[in-house]
Amino acid sequence: MSTHSSLRKDLRKLIANTKGFSSVIGTTFMVLVMLVLATSIFLWTLSQNTEYFQSVKEKNQLEVDRLNEKLSAENVNYTASDDVVSVEVDLKNEGPLSVHLTTLWVLDTTIRKYGFNDTLNINLQPGEKLSIKGTEAIKVVIENADNTHVFSSWFITTRGNAVPLEKEGGLIVAQVSAGIGSIAMDFNRFKYYNVSKVGSSYILNNYPQGSAGYVVIQPASGGIAFQVALTNYDPSKRNITLYSGSVLFTIFPVMPQQPRGSMWYIVNVNANGVISNTYTPVNLTYGIETSVFFASAVELKGSNTFTPALASYSGTAPVNLALIGSLGNDYYGQNIPFVSIYIQG
Amino acid sequence: MNLKKARKRLHERCAISAVISNVILAGAVITVSFVVLFWAQYRSSAYNEQYSEAMNADIAKLKERLAFEYVFYDKANLTVYLLNCGTIDNVTVQTVYIYFSGNGTLVKVFSSPTLTYFNDTQIADQDLDRGEEGCFVLSPLSLETGVNYSVRVITGRGSTFEYTFIT
Repeated sequence: MSTHSSLRKDLRKLIANTKGFSSVIGTTFMVLVMLVLATSIFLWTLSQNTEYFQSVKEKNQLEVDRLNEKLSAENVNYTASDDVVSVEVDLKNEGPLSVHLTTLWVLDTTIRKYGFNDTLNINLQPGEKLSIKGTEAIKVVIENADNTHVFSSWFITTRGNAVPLEKEGGLIVAQVSAGIGSIAMDFNRFKYYNVSKVGSSYILNNYPQGSAGYVVIQPASGGIAFQVALTNYDPSKRNITLYSGSVLFTIFPVMPQQPRGSMWYIVNVNANGVISNTYTPVNLTYGIETSVFFASAVELKGSNTFTPALASYSGTAPVNLALIGSLGNDYYGQNIPFVSIYIQG
Repeated sequence: MNLKKARKRLHERCAISAVISNVILAGAVITVSFVVLFWAQYRSSAYNEQYSEAMNADIAKLKERLAFEYVFYDKANLTVYLLNCGTIDNVTVQTVYIYFSGNGTLVKVFSSPTLTYFNDTQIADQDLDRGEEGCFVLSPLSLETGVNYSVRVITGRGSTFEYTFIT
């Protein structure tokens, strides 16, 4: 018998043998069951883990965004009136992400009371600046708040960061004010105008641009007006009111023993550059720069009406700003020896 | 002739018992296998459910974030102002712990304080949704002036948020 036929015989015998058939079926089933279950559980667990790590990733991204939020809030100014604190501030988004402000908190540390404004909806793109001033100032209600009180405040962003509002150089300004006076002038905004008569009114030519006030080309007729930008830095944050006696005067060193002067009294100018015939006291609110005009040859009080003024002399002259008025409920006066001018013509 | 053969085969007891036994065994194995399959499926789905619940709870916890806008103490009342700055709604305040931040000594524990909006209106669902602000008052509470305290808020999902303040 050959080996080949012997093998065929064995195989036939094996196929014909039914013993152990059930074991084969059972094992196959078990293997299939285990495979199906293991695969499904593995895949499902994998998907759950992926979901979890996705959440961890999102959480980390949120944290990174929160830490990258960089907003500066400077030059803050508080004005309290009738239990309402108006907050003026310059904002700048210095971070790489946009910032959304939701709430402003203000704490009156003097009386330990606080207030908030949660109706803000301020969005700042990266690099964007926003100056919140004047009528746009953020209002916060705090009972019995007063201008003389000390405030602190902070913004809350949507990402949950608190951004404190800072007073840039507040201490230095307060110290200087206490030393030399409560009114400061912006040297870069000193201007002059020629005054012309149009109909019955006097107007400032080229208003509001004007010309830099340091070199004045005097017209043959009409008058000259000066504009100065004044800011009230009273440490007690009281209002300053300027009376009609406030004057800008110059001294021309014509002769050593006989200096000559010219003067321009304070006036009111409307939005179109028209000078009022009479004078209404100008208020300087704490921290807010205010333009003040000097143009009248006479003090506008009583029956005096506006009279244009020219410089009587030419050449270099030091300028003094003699301000008379009130600070809060008290009288106040300050002389600012501030610039020199050169009069041509 | 065929009838004879069939009758003869019926009387061959050995051969018949082998077929029957194989069929019975195979049937039993298949039946038991199906039972095992269903049982295993039931067990695995129960495991899936538990795992899924645990995982979802962890994910929800991860998404929670509360920011303390302000904490103010006055006349035995501690007011805590919160903002939900996370990415999930329905953040509840379960427990609040007050303790000395210096040595960690527990001062007082409050459970489920009443959440109100900043305008003192009570929040109907007593939770904070995304971007929502709310506050609660803890009272009575006697704290020393000028001391650092910490307030720890535990949410319903188990997240912890902490803030230190000076009275």
